[in-house]
Amino acid sequence: MTTKDIGPKNPVQKGTEATIDYVDERSGIKTGTRWFLFRNIPAGTSWFQTLGFTAMVVFGMQAITGIILAMYYVPDTKGGAYQSIEYITNEVTWGWLVRGMHKWGASVMIIVVFLHMARVFIWGAYKYPRELTWVTGSFLLLLTMFMGLTGYLLVWDQKAYWATVVAVNIFASAPIVGPYIGDILRAGPEFGPATLSRFYSIHMLVIPGAIATFIGLHLYFIVRLGISEPPWSKRRLRIERDEEDARRAAAREKAKALPGSVNYPASWPVEAKEGAR
Amino acid sequence: MKPADKKAYDKDYAQAKKTGKPFFPYAIYKDTVIAGLTVIAIIVLAITIRVEVGEPVNPATTDFIPRPEWYFYFAFELLKIFANQNVLTPVIMATFMVPNILIILLVVWPFIDRGPERRIWKRPFALGLTVIVTGLLCYTTWLGANSPAGVASQGLPVSGLDEPATKGMAVYMANGCGSCHMVAGVGAPGPGPDLTNEGAKGWDNAKMIAWLKAPKAPMPSYASLPPQELEDLSTFLNGLGTKYK
Ligand code: HEM
Repeated sequence: MTTKDIGPKNPVQKGTEATIDYVDERSGIKTGTRWFLFRNIPAGTSWFQTLGFTAMVVFGMQAITGIILAMYYVPDTKGGAYQSIEYITNEVTWGWLVRGMHKWGASVMIIVVFLHMARVFIWGAYKYPRELTWVTGSFLLLLTMFMGLTGYLLVWDQKAYWATVVAVNIFASAPIVGPYIGDILRAGPEFGPATLSRFYSIHMLVIPGAIATFIGLHLYFIVRLGISEPPWSKRRLRIERDEEDARRAAAREKAKALPGSVNYPASWPVEAKEGAR
Repeated sequence: MKPADKKAYDKDYAQAKKTGKPFFPYAIYKDTVIAGLTVIAIIVLAITIRVEVGEPVNPATTDFIPRPEWYFYFAFELLKIFANQNVLTPVIMATFMVPNILIILLVVWPFIDRGPERRIWKRPFALGLTVIVTGLLCYTTWLGANSPAGVASQGLPVSGLDEPATKGMAVYMANGCGSCHMVAGVGAPGPGPDLTNEGAKGWDNAKMIAWLKAPKAPMPSYASLPPQELEDLSTFLNGLGTKYK
């Protein structure tokens, strides 16, 4: 007996603990969460490594604002779509804000994902063992762009309509499969009511589902492999300096062993460094 | 990477982790700060620059310019570069070859660049690629943002129109041709070519109608127009720059 209860426990606290224990016994959630939160990451992890998480948060925000928009939006080409957008913008309480956040969120997400990719590229973070993390990420980039393409048509205004006509024609121009892709996107040979509802379902069901799946895969790889260390972290720089010093020391030893060749170039910094230590 | 390099990396990374810090709170706190600032920025943008409601879709007017979202400007500009098709740069280059090659390169990049070096200043090719691609994307996006807006108008500044050509011009206006083409400075400067001197090609109406029904992408097909309208439209187009100036 090591500890002693001081009086009876609060029944609410007791119930909560019992419930958590019950769930943990069956799911391992407590152990799993603890492992996830307190696993070690390299010490030099930098601010640039926050962009992937930020992309995820913006995606979540797009999902929430998108669900709210879907409560009012009507995919109807005979004025319904346009009117519902007008209604959201001018009548619904905070409607303009939700629509504005969804629209700006799309642009910001593209920028954040691009910057995240640039960070990964510049750091060489796609190299062994993270090749497949990159592959899943590149699909996320393409899916994010498709999100923008399909969402643009939904407001059913002039600019969006004609830009989308051109975009779909670009897909349809691919050799062999192009015409089929065109028909699939348009839901037939021409732009019309079926096209709009098809774009609507692609935009709010197909691509978000795919993005969620790929984020899941992406995260699985990231957690399994661990976040990479900045290639110029303090630890790395120290190792490189030590290696460099060792290499020079070895070269000096070799030079000493050969009589008559002790002529170091004037710029050789080793002696100075040695002296400074 | 060679097996020895992989092993060296694994060992080095294990060391980094051992001397590292816990994910919570060190990474989480930075993540939360940046993600929070980003969400705040989105809300501020949504409040200060309000969304608009554009013109409703109406294929029978031309006073608009089809513009994709800004993040597709680069693709639009690429399209314009290859828009004047010839043997060297057929349209298929712009719409199919170039994008697909870029996409494939993007996806398989880790299997192309397999060297163990991660420091960017020791990877001159990757550094050059970063600078060039980023520069090109910024430049083409800037070009797209600054491309002269098409001039809209109720008619085209073309004279000498006879009866069928007048009707043909009405068909041209009504079907939004001016949203991709320019005639005598009126309309959008792309992605379609300038049609001011279309007549100089010397096509007959049958050839023009065949084109309108099955044009090369990205131009849409006008096969659904009534035959008489196609005839008038072709008469109009085939005289541009020659009979009608
Ligand atoms: C919706 C888009 C994306 C989301 C939500 C996302 C999410 C994340 C997150 C949360 C991380 C953890 C580290 C960090 O935040 O930097 C990460 C890492 C990574 N991402 Fe993404 N990502 C996306 C797009 C991409 C793209 C487009 C690529 C590349 C083509 C990519 C490649 C990688 C790689 C290789 C890592 C591992 C980097 C390392 O360990 O240092 N991701 N991603």
